[in-house]
Amino acid sequence: MAVEALKIIREGEEEGRKVVEEAKTSVSTILQNADEEIKQLKERTREEEKRLAAEIAARHIEEGKQEEAKIMQAAAVEAEQLKAAAESNLDHAIAVVLERILGQR
Amino acid sequence: MGAKEMVERIREEAREEGQQITADAKQQADAKLEAARKELEQQNQQFLAAEERKGVEEKERIVRAARQNARKLKWRAEEAMIERTLESALTRIPGVKSSGFKDASYAEILSGLITESVLSIATGSSSAGIDLDVLLSEEDAAAAHITQAQLTELGKALSREHGRDLKLTMAAEQIKSVGGVIVRQTDGKIEVNNTFEQRMARFSTSLREEIVKALFERTSS
Repeated sequence: MAVEALKIIREGEEEGRKVVEEAKTSVSTILQNADEEIKQLKERTREEEKRLAAEIAARHIEEGKQEEAKIMQAAAVEAEQLKAAAESNLDHAIAVVLERILGQR
Repeated sequence: MGAKEMVERIREEAREEGQQITADAKQQADAKLEAARKELEQQNQQFLAAEERKGVEEKERIVRAARQNARKLKWRAEEAMIERTLESALTRIPGVKSSGFKDASYAEILSGLITESVLSIATGSSSAGIDLDVLLSEEDAAAAHITQAQLTELGKALSREHGRDLKLTMAAEQIKSVGGVIVRQTDGKIEVNNTFEQRMARFSTSLREEIVKALFERTSS
């Protein structure tokens, strides 16, 4: 009877050890899964960063291009105004040059 | 306590220990994940701030380049008008030859340029008497805007005025020019080139400034 009881207890102990061993084995799996999740999180973050970087660059370039267009448009208008002003003063300017090269001043 | 109760207790203790081990591992994993998330979030914010700065710099570079191109555009417009003025001035020389400029005839203009040239040579020479050749363009010589007799008179007048013996002779040699004169000491040592092209080149810097003022700073009427 005592032998039978000891056998049952040993089986129980063995069973308990297995439960603990399984739990210990699962620790490594849990930590590995966490590492894998961190790795994937980093990859997703990098991908998202790339996308955002491209978006930010495109936004600033677009703003720059818009400002560039305004500046060049204003410059073209100013250049035309300069030409128009110069055109109306051309005879006077030619007279200034002639005065000088003809030795009349 | 019977054997069955003991076994049950052993099992229970083992189950609790296993659960505790698993719970600790999960807690550790959650902590790692949380730390990684925080670190990535921080890195992400720094990265985005850096990308924003780069973007702003790129935009500023585009704007700077545009401002430079705008200045070039205006500068080119100015340059084109300056060149046009200079070219137009030369194209008006034939009109000056036929109708004069302001109140001066072309002969008076040539006479003025000859005087300027003679005085320039005389200033650089210590001789009491200087013989000078006057060179005109083929066209001006053929049109006889100024004659040998006029040159002789001009020489005498300048001699009287400056107390030097200045003799002017019309040279047989003619020059290729739109107009103006070259006056050369007969021995060839000193020459003053007062052709219009040469005067234009000589006064180029100050002329351009005067043209800019005349073209762009004058109120158009």
